[in-house]
Amino acid sequence: MKKSKYSLLLVLTLVFSLILAACSGGNEGADNSKEEENNAASDVPQEFKMLDSSEIPTMDTVLAEGSTSFTYIGNVGEGLYRLDKDGKPVPAMSDGEPKVNDDKTVFTFTLRDAKWSNGDPVTAQDFVFAWQRAIDPKTASPYGPYMMGGKIKGAAEITQAGADKKEYDLNTLGVKAIDDKTLEVTLEKPVVYWEDLFAFPTFYPQNQKFVEEKGEAFASNAENLLYNGPFKMTKWEGTDAQEWVLEKNPDYWDAENVKMEKITVNVVKDSGSAVNAFEAGETDMTGLLSSDLVPQYEGDERMMSWLDASVFWLKMNQKNEALANVNIRKAIAMAFNKEDLATSILSNGSVPANYMVPKEFVNLDGKDFREANGDMLVYNVEEAKKHWEAGLKELGKTELTIRYLGGDTEASKKIDAYMKNQLETNLEGLTVELESVPFAVRLERDNAMDYDLQMAGWGPDYGNAISFADLWVTNGGSNRMGYTNEKYDELIKKAQGELATKPKENFEALQEAERILLEEDAGIAPVYQRASNILINPNLKGLVEYQYGPDYSFKWMTMQGE
Amino acid sequence: MERKIPKELFGQAIIDSSKSEEINKPSLNFWQDAWLRVRKNKGAIVSLIIAALVIIMAFVGPVISGKEFDTQKVSHNNLPPRIQGLENISWLPFDGVKVNKAGKEFSPYEQRKVEEYYWFGTDALGRDIFTRVWKGTQISLLIALLAALIDMVIGVIYGAVSGYFGGRIDNIMQRITEILIGIPYLIVVILMILLLKPGIASIVIAMTITGWVGMSRVVRAQVLKLKEQEYVLASRTLGNSHLKIIGKHLLPNLAGVIIINTMFTIPSAIFNEAFLSFIGLGLQDPLASLGTLIDEGFKVLRLHPYQMIIPAIVISTIMITFNLLADGLRDALDPKMRD
Amino acid sequence: MGRYLVQRVFYMVITLFLITSLTFFLMKIIPGTPFASANKLSPAQMEIMKAKYGLDEPVPVQYAKYIGNVVTGDFGISFQFSNRPVSELIVKRMGPSAQLGFQAMFIGTIIGIFLGVIAALRQNTWVDYGATFLAVLGKAVPSFVFAGLLQYFVGVKLGLLPVLFWKGFEYTILPTIALAIFPIAITARFMRTEMIDVLSSDYITLAKAKGASYFEIAFKHALRNALIPVITVLGPLFVSLMTGSLVIEKIFAIPGIGEQFVTSITLNDYPVIMGTTILYAALFVVIILIVDILYGIIDPRIRVSGGKK
Repeated sequence: MKKSKYSLLLVLTLVFSLILAACSGGNEGADNSKEEENNAASDVPQEFKMLDSSEIPTMDTVLAEGSTSFTYIGNVGEGLYRLDKDGKPVPAMSDGEPKVNDDKTVFTFTLRDAKWSNGDPVTAQDFVFAWQRAIDPKTASPYGPYMMGGKIKGAAEITQAGADKKEYDLNTLGVKAIDDKTLEVTLEKPVVYWEDLFAFPTFYPQNQKFVEEKGEAFASNAENLLYNGPFKMTKWEGTDAQEWVLEKNPDYWDAENVKMEKITVNVVKDSGSAVNAFEAGETDMTGLLSSDLVPQYEGDERMMSWLDASVFWLKMNQKNEALANVNIRKAIAMAFNKEDLATSILSNGSVPANYMVPKEFVNLDGKDFREANGDMLVYNVEEAKKHWEAGLKELGKTELTIRYLGGDTEASKKIDAYMKNQLETNLEGLTVELESVPFAVRLERDNAMDYDLQMAGWGPDYGNAISFADLWVTNGGSNRMGYTNEKYDELIKKAQGELATKPKENFEALQEAERILLEEDAGIAPVYQRASNILINPNLKGLVEYQYGPDYSFKWMTMQGE
Repeated sequence: MERKIPKELFGQAIIDSSKSEEINKPSLNFWQDAWLRVRKNKGAIVSLIIAALVIIMAFVGPVISGKEFDTQKVSHNNLPPRIQGLENISWLPFDGVKVNKAGKEFSPYEQRKVEEYYWFGTDALGRDIFTRVWKGTQISLLIALLAALIDMVIGVIYGAVSGYFGGRIDNIMQRITEILIGIPYLIVVILMILLLKPGIASIVIAMTITGWVGMSRVVRAQVLKLKEQEYVLASRTLGNSHLKIIGKHLLPNLAGVIIINTMFTIPSAIFNEAFLSFIGLGLQDPLASLGTLIDEGFKVLRLHPYQMIIPAIVISTIMITFNLLADGLRDALDPKMRD
Repeated sequence: MGRYLVQRVFYMVITLFLITSLTFFLMKIIPGTPFASANKLSPAQMEIMKAKYGLDEPVPVQYAKYIGNVVTGDFGISFQFSNRPVSELIVKRMGPSAQLGFQAMFIGTIIGIFLGVIAALRQNTWVDYGATFLAVLGKAVPSFVFAGLLQYFVGVKLGLLPVLFWKGFEYTILPTIALAIFPIAITARFMRTEMIDVLSSDYITLAKAKGASYFEIAFKHALRNALIPVITVLGPLFVSLMTGSLVIEKIFAIPGIGEQFVTSITLNDYPVIMGTTILYAALFVVIILIVDILYGIIDPRIRVSGGKK
């Protein structure tokens, strides 16, 4: 069956390429009932050009650490799971749902019949090899230990041993090939979002023979890569390449649902230039627009907008005596008009955030996380003033000077100036000193907790509120603002432990944690939830954007006729 | 081809030995003389007047606008320029009208029921651009002055000494500037952020590191050329000190290149200040300079063109008038051009 | 002259060594790591990553190793572009930047000299003011504004030239123009002032008296003497044009070295920072040497080599 489909496709491709000379038309696996669509699509070449704002830092799934890498890896590769059209993880390389033990810690996957682009079958050993490579201290992967530590059994121990320069055994990692098609994964403890984990590019398979044969050259260009996803790279000269081409992978198990034949990507780092290129018809799709460019295309059918799962907030460093006072923190958190900031100043579709966990991000049985928890720390000058006076009294002061470490997004300058003005106007006796610094300096000062207020944001790595809530546990790696609350820590620990197998209780525990963080402690002052905007040819349909991992999937895209 | 000159044209010269020493033009010192010649130069005079107006506006503008440079009013943001009296003249860009995407004109002032007149419009935060531009002009002029000073003091002296003494001194001094230029500026600036607080002092230090090197090289080259000229040789033979030779003979002849080069240092410094403030070393918001106003305005050029065009016109006016003025001054100071 | 050259080359090596060393240590003081997701890494992971790239050793040891490698021609491997040797990266990125720089320099000097000479010959007339106006505008309006306007009006609105990318000669035209503005301005201004200076010299009066044409005076006699400050300024400018402009490369999406260099500093990509610095510094000292030698050729009275007083 598979074979006949493949040869039919080849013949079709040949015929089409004869007719259409250079550009091969829409040749889907035309053995099913989608005749109508097939005809409609074959009139228009199924290809498009797009722009990206950076080069691909690496195509090695194990070393990838940024969304650009994840995006292209996600489109040319595939893991046990894949994010579907709605951003939900569904079985991919795994043939259906895995068998799970009662503790929800051992998963047994049966792999589907799938092939690498060199014809080799994708086997369970490929997963074991890739995962072991990702955790191996010799590889020094950034995301391997980050995604596996504390989740996949034995991962944290291997990393620790590597750091201490001790012996370690990669076979202690909780991943085993029972046979060619059966993979057994053992988790440290139950993980609510395990499907997301197995859909993440770090957990993709790699063909051991190929990787070892290529050695240093592996993933150095399109020829030194293997593909098991919807597309394969036919042109990519390496990590500093400015142009690359994805073409449909005929060997992909689900190739019949992939319509797009060819995607040409070029790097344009300046968002204004990208818009100019789009206007000049040089491309069908731009990278993300800087917020200054968005109002210009308001209401334009060529602009596509969506709400990101990234939330920006003010971190309030409690090492500062004044900010250790909960009234002062509440006053600051309520003293700026978020509505105005989002609609008039950012005016790119971003929405005011009265929460930590973004909206339209996670839900339980269709009910959004936000529905139950509602808005907290809403803009309210009266309340803010009351807290401010109370706080000042407790501190025994009449005025305060607070440093404000600015953000590093392109709209930062505007936002920072606005925040300074709002805080100073609404809170009498407050002086805000703006400090905008380059990225590296900002990171350093965050690390050293050398700031009072800091504009910062966070985007999740998996589809669970834990990705946000985990940030603020006492001494947590990203906390770095001296926030501590036993109750909060307890709830997060529970959510990641005993409640990990109970979605409802887990959900509620995290909602309670958020309530403590914001309503009780005003640990952070949420500002806005970011929106993203691109310009896209209106005939180009089916682009799917994701909130974590890859930015986009091209798998379901089609080019419609005029 | 013989030509006859009529005899009548000839007259007898009366030689009066008592008058041979008489000066029949009024005695002028160097600067009076220079001013006389600048005055004859129409371009320079017009420039002087315009430059003076801009400088006066830089100080008067923020006062007469009746608005503060840092007052934000978000409901009034991104309003186009509107000036009383000029608002009904539709071909002037001061009618408070914008053109929307469909090409239709509309008045955001009417739409949002704004009574105030913002002469140069408002920015994204609803701040008055008129006040901000002139406030920014103040800062940029200060930067220009400081940059010129650094150029004149460090650059000219360093270059003159290096070129005049030559040989080993020149060699070492030039290698030092090569090292200063060779170390990436961005690295030095980032390190300065760690040590310094943003402000004028930090800007001056950042400009002092390499800002004068270009000037020193130009001056050195000219001195290398001039020191071999006869008058320098003559002066040296007469036993004049090095200091006197450099100060009295070389510097006046360097005026041309010094002035021209300063005129290039100034805009570089103004835009460098914008870069420094972007990176966190220069002046921080709400303070603005012409450089930062242009930076910010450029991002919204197609939507709100006035936000960039106005500060760009101011800076261009300043630079063009300064240059024409400098040309006039150069001609006036040039010892060879006296009549 | 020969001895002078040998001496200068010797100094050049020392200068380069000092620049390299100072940059290395300064760069190490800048906070942060070259690792993109540093804020997500656990301390144990940080240890592992630093060890892998030799960043766990004391800075002097890293320095010694680096210098050792550089001497053997090994400039290391980039962090931001995994797998890419720095030397290969620089060579590849240098091409477009150098071509653009060269083209901009070429037309910039020609137009600049032309504008400067006319301004001088028609001193204090509208021609002069106009030429000054043009030259100064080129400097008073930042290059990103100019480049952005060119791209929008010539590229998008008129559709005359490609908007961006680097795929052939026609793609180089707009960025070249945008880049040439500065050399035009500076050449024109220096040419004017020097020409005026030279035109009032005795030998030009002599040439005029002998009946030489304006053209002849301008290009045969005066130009040569006006060149001293012009090459002084253009020499280093040439280096900075050749090594690329962040703004122009970003706006026109050109894979050049200028944009690359700034990015590498903000990302702490140590090997790329060092490699590019060494290249830049080497080009710079060589150009300075050439300029110094040119002084003597243009005006034989100038003796940079010093020697006797």
